[in-house]
Amino acid sequence: MDTLASLLHTSPALAWMVVKIVIVFSAVMLLASVWTWVERRGSAMIQDRIGPNRAALFGRIRIIGLAQLLADGIKFFFKEDLEPTDVNKGLFWLAPFLAFVPAMMGFAVIPFGRDFVSGGATYHLSVLDPGNGMGMLYPMAIGGLAVYGVLVAAWSSNNKWSILGGMRASAAMVSYEIGMSLAVVSIFMTTGGYDPAEIISAQGSLPWHWNVVPQFLGFIVFFTCMFAETNRLPFDFAEGESEIVAGFNTEYGSMKFSLLALAEYAHLMTASALVVTLFFGGWQVPFVAHPSVGLSILSFVVKLLFFAWVFVWIRWTLPRFRYDQMMRLGWKAMLPMSMVNLVVHAWLMSHGR
Amino acid sequence: MGVVVKKVELSWLDRTYVWPVLKGMGITFKHFIKQLFTPTSKRYTIQYPDMKKVMPAGYRGLHELKRFEDGAIKCVACFMCAEACPARCISIEAEEFSDLNITQGFEEKRPQVFKIDMLRCIYCGMCEEACPKDAIWLRNDYEVAAYDRLSMQFGKWDLMNTYAEADGKARITEDPIPSAPRRAIAM
Repeated sequence: MDTLASLLHTSPALAWMVVKIVIVFSAVMLLASVWTWVERRGSAMIQDRIGPNRAALFGRIRIIGLAQLLADGIKFFFKEDLEPTDVNKGLFWLAPFLAFVPAMMGFAVIPFGRDFVSGGATYHLSVLDPGNGMGMLYPMAIGGLAVYGVLVAAWSSNNKWSILGGMRASAAMVSYEIGMSLAVVSIFMTTGGYDPAEIISAQGSLPWHWNVVPQFLGFIVFFTCMFAETNRLPFDFAEGESEIVAGFNTEYGSMKFSLLALAEYAHLMTASALVVTLFFGGWQVPFVAHPSVGLSILSFVVKLLFFAWVFVWIRWTLPRFRYDQMMRLGWKAMLPMSMVNLVVHAWLMSHGR
Repeated sequence: MGVVVKKVELSWLDRTYVWPVLKGMGITFKHFIKQLFTPTSKRYTIQYPDMKKVMPAGYRGLHELKRFEDGAIKCVACFMCAEACPARCISIEAEEFSDLNITQGFEEKRPQVFKIDMLRCIYCGMCEEACPKDAIWLRNDYEVAAYDRLSMQFGKWDLMNTYAEADGKARITEDPIPSAPRRAIAM
């Protein structure tokens, strides 16, 4: 790291920061685009189909259809960047970035590996070092910003279907945020801090000490709310082919559409990172008290990919909810459940257990 | 009389909604694993240009005009198929030929032109039914497509050589016995 820093004429801290940012965000972006393919192949396998397997590099190297990503990307880049006449131009251009950037930003505080000491300095494997004062509040706040991507895209399109989709999606996101926050609060309470590093180290390496076991109700609530937050299938109210055409992205085409679609997958990655960090011990390796750095990163990535897969898996298992059903579930089931979770854990803590 | 709809009573386990979701996930995962470990040849999907469906016996596809061993056409130009054809896609012009021999079945009439408009044909198989000589068969081949309308007009030699290589038969483009000029009929 020092040699790299001296080569670039920067301080080691800055070089380390840049390296972390590049690695984390390129990894998340790559995973998000790979996950579009995983979603399509996975859904195909679940439905006894085959899925996109024909795209090949140079027409020859098929690699089980992974070249589909490239093909899609090239296709989206070279499509005409159509802009309907009556859209609000500024917001129309801004919306994909508003959707994509918060989805990526939430990843910044997630520790994806164990701290390590090298040359007398401690290196933290998360973009923002622990003890930054924001902790897990930051991804929650950024997750709240994700509403704007959908809503701005919908509003600027000047299309009734888009506005309907955007409105109900934002309503869903906002109302599920309460249940989600309360589920997270009870974790903050039992941990005694809201820094992700603290939450992870408090969970330890034994799987039954991870937060998912004592706070199973909280996990259910949080995970369900994550589906509403990422606008994925049981609660995908931003879209809905049968009722509001394509929803908030009806008027979008080419790379702007691609960004909106990728934002969903980036959001998915961030959401599963949050689930892993809060409930499944983050980078903790089961039954290994002091894992090596590589092992801890591997453990985190495996957990992350598993939960990202669960998102896909559930999407192709459950049918969509009706809007009122989802609202009822959000306000009458998720909110009371997370409150009960909070109160029970507060009571348990006050009795010293 | 109305139908009494029985309301399904959900048990408390089903009402939690978590357990049924897990059950559903189990089902989808079973399908996922099954499909993942099924070899490509045994999946439901036939990946068409690479794999071809084996058509059942009795499938009515592209026509073939049958021939004798010496390459002479079996058709005697009786026009039965053209009459039977509901789509009116067969057009035949007959010609006479001499040199009667046994393989020819002592026929002296055969089509000079035997044309099927494949764009009109509905592959009903009536020509096959009507043929007294079993000279026209509908084969299993279903890849009948072309870039223009003219190449969908299948002539006599197209029909006699339909997919001949697949059968191991040689291509022929000529009747073994030349046609004879029309004889004066002795009244």
